[in-house]
Amino acid sequence: MSRQTRTVGCRIMGPQSALTDFLASHNISANQIRLDAEARRRAAAQDNQEGQADAAQQQLLNENGDFDTPSPGSDEDEPVVASTGRVTRGRSAAQVTSEVERRKKEKEKHAIDKIKASKKFQKRKRDPDASDDDDDDIVRALFNERAKPLPGQMENCAICNTRFTVTPYSRNAPDGGLVCSPCGKELAKDDPAPKKKTKRASGGPVGARRQTQSRILDGTYHVGGKSLMSLCIQTLAKNIDLAEDLGDLPPKIVDKIARKLSKHRLLNPTTLSLFLKPSNQEVLVYDGAKLSADDFYRIFHSVPELKKLKVRNAIHFKDEVVEYLVDRHIVLEDLYLHGCNLISEGKWIEYLQKKGQPLRSLRVYWTDKHFTDAVLAVIPTSCPNLTRLKVCHNQAVTGEGLNHIAKIATLRHLSLDLREAIHPDVYVKLLTAIGPQLETLCLTRVPELDNTVLDALHMHCRNLKKLRITDSELMTDAGFARLFTSTWSNPGLVFLDLQKCRQLESTKPRENPDGIGLCDEGFKALMAHSGKTLQNLNVHGCRHISSNAFEEVFTADKTYENMHKMEISFCEEVTDFVVGCIFRSCPNLRELNVFGCMKVKDVRVPKGKILVGVPNARGMVIEGED
Amino acid sequence: MSDSKYITLISYDGFEFVVLREAALVSETIGAMLRGPFREAQTGRCEFGEIRGPVLEKVVEYFHYHYANRNQTDVPDMDIPVDICLELLMAADFLGLDSKPQMRDIS
Repeated sequence: MSRQTRTVGCRIMGPQSALTDFLASHNISANQIRLDAEARRRAAAQDNQEGQADAAQQQLLNENGDFDTPSPGSDEDEPVVASTGRVTRGRSAAQVTSEVERRKKEKEKHAIDKIKASKKFQKRKRDPDASDDDDDDIVRALFNERAKPLPGQMENCAICNTRFTVTPYSRNAPDGGLVCSPCGKELAKDDPAPKKKTKRASGGPVGARRQTQSRILDGTYHVGGKSLMSLCIQTLAKNIDLAEDLGDLPPKIVDKIARKLSKHRLLNPTTLSLFLKPSNQEVLVYDGAKLSADDFYRIFHSVPELKKLKVRNAIHFKDEVVEYLVDRHIVLEDLYLHGCNLISEGKWIEYLQKKGQPLRSLRVYWTDKHFTDAVLAVIPTSCPNLTRLKVCHNQAVTGEGLNHIAKIATLRHLSLDLREAIHPDVYVKLLTAIGPQLETLCLTRVPELDNTVLDALHMHCRNLKKLRITDSELMTDAGFARLFTSTWSNPGLVFLDLQKCRQLESTKPRENPDGIGLCDEGFKALMAHSGKTLQNLNVHGCRHISSNAFEEVFTADKTYENMHKMEISFCEEVTDFVVGCIFRSCPNLRELNVFGCMKVKDVRVPKGKILVGVPNARGMVIEGED
Repeated sequence: MSDSKYITLISYDGFEFVVLREAALVSETIGAMLRGPFREAQTGRCEFGEIRGPVLEKVVEYFHYHYANRNQTDVPDMDIPVDICLELLMAADFLGLDSKPQMRDIS
């Protein structure tokens, strides 16, 4: 198969790849390369067939003991692989064999010299572990790597010289070449047990990087190792089925264990027993999804002094359980139920009427229809000590319920997240009645609230520490500015969440002629009023706060010592400079969220601070290093 | 003796561990013992009447693990033997080896 016989360039061709074009422009024919490769392959296949014949000859020779006959030199110019087949013809078998051996050696030597000069070898050699003695080993290894025939081909065994088919499992002989499977088995016997790969300690199935990112977002990230306590709790949670009793651990730790277990969904009737000590006053179940009504009965009869009960995912906390609770001599002061949709309205009312007297805190999350206005109507009369009321994700409470809440004179903390749209006037009435003593007010997802509520806050609230108003579509910048003027007799807030108080106008999203939502003036006023005391500020999505306002608030001469966490995601005007100013002005800031702030590009984050949500390819989080 | 770089921790069954002072200061309790007007501060020897030798050994291991990794991120977890896990948890609580309290939301 010579080049002259080929007809290159006289073919009709289809579309060509860019590489082919490029090669053609350098006078290299891709087709030629392909044909050459095919030729080589064909020659190799032919050689294989000849090789089989060789093997037969060799065996014959071995029997005759005529193996080491020296052979005359042969033409060096021909490529070894391709030529053997043709050259053998017409020569004696003995000559052929020794010649093949010799050529093999020569070829090997040539290849080894080549390897010694190669980059890969030099690189390996630089490896500090490798001494000079290893050089030959390395070369040998590299050579074997190269010279190894592919699976499916035939090869002579390096030990017993029999012919065998190479498979991916064929073993290397100690001094080069492959061995057949019987010899391989013999070799395997001599081998010491294979070294176990040292497993990396961290990471596990989830990559270490991913785990770090996840810990940053969970807020549990810090430099250095985990604390001994977390390590122990982690180990304990993994082996919780071995634990029979938690002993005399302090309640704080027991609570941590409970949280960890629930996080891994390990809290079931068996593990629940670990947390039911008769002397306990509180039982906190963070995931009650696997508990049945019987388990709840068990809580009540094994912990007779129960004062505080918290059950999340309390699916089987149903009428019968409430009935049992009402009948027992258990005096709950704090009840927290999450997802208990099997308690009917009547049972709620019965419970509050009979057991409402000592109740200080009532928190009810995720109920559909049964925690209603009628239930709230009972509270002012039957719960004279109630200071904390949370009704979240509730579909039944309406303005009428709010009017009942307004009658609870003892209330200090109120959180509402209601699905029914309620007129702002009802809230104004509520604030007028109980505003003065409120310390916490959370109004989540209230698109219908307007400035009248802000004015009512300004007028009546004196003790607020935590304020949350989210998703308002009607409150204006001027309204917020009025609330936070210096005449507000409320001391500085500690927690403020005004997320998504912004204009919603899809046709002209940039324009905001009426100043809807929290904008410049409101932001400046709130920082002037509460900046010194705020620990946690959330202005997520208040996208009309300008960079000027941020720069004015976070100038070099202003410091906000208490600020611990800030969320300014989707404030479009936030730039690298603003983020830098924030880190400068808030020395104790730990975490800053800037999701969707597209002008943040390349910020230097101080050591120990976390900037979450930078839109770059490096990942979402930057942990400060300098 | 009191300004030595090392201190000695003694378990109730008499095992003594010599630890780098700086590493042991991870524990608030030990820090307080060495700072205050106590015998421990003068002698640099802290006796723990409630901690067994094997548990204290693990605690000392933790001190060095923590000290070696104090400025590193992505630290592999230390191995905790299951059989002394609860005892170790008690010891960790006693020695104040909790993670630094995060500021919590008031609510």
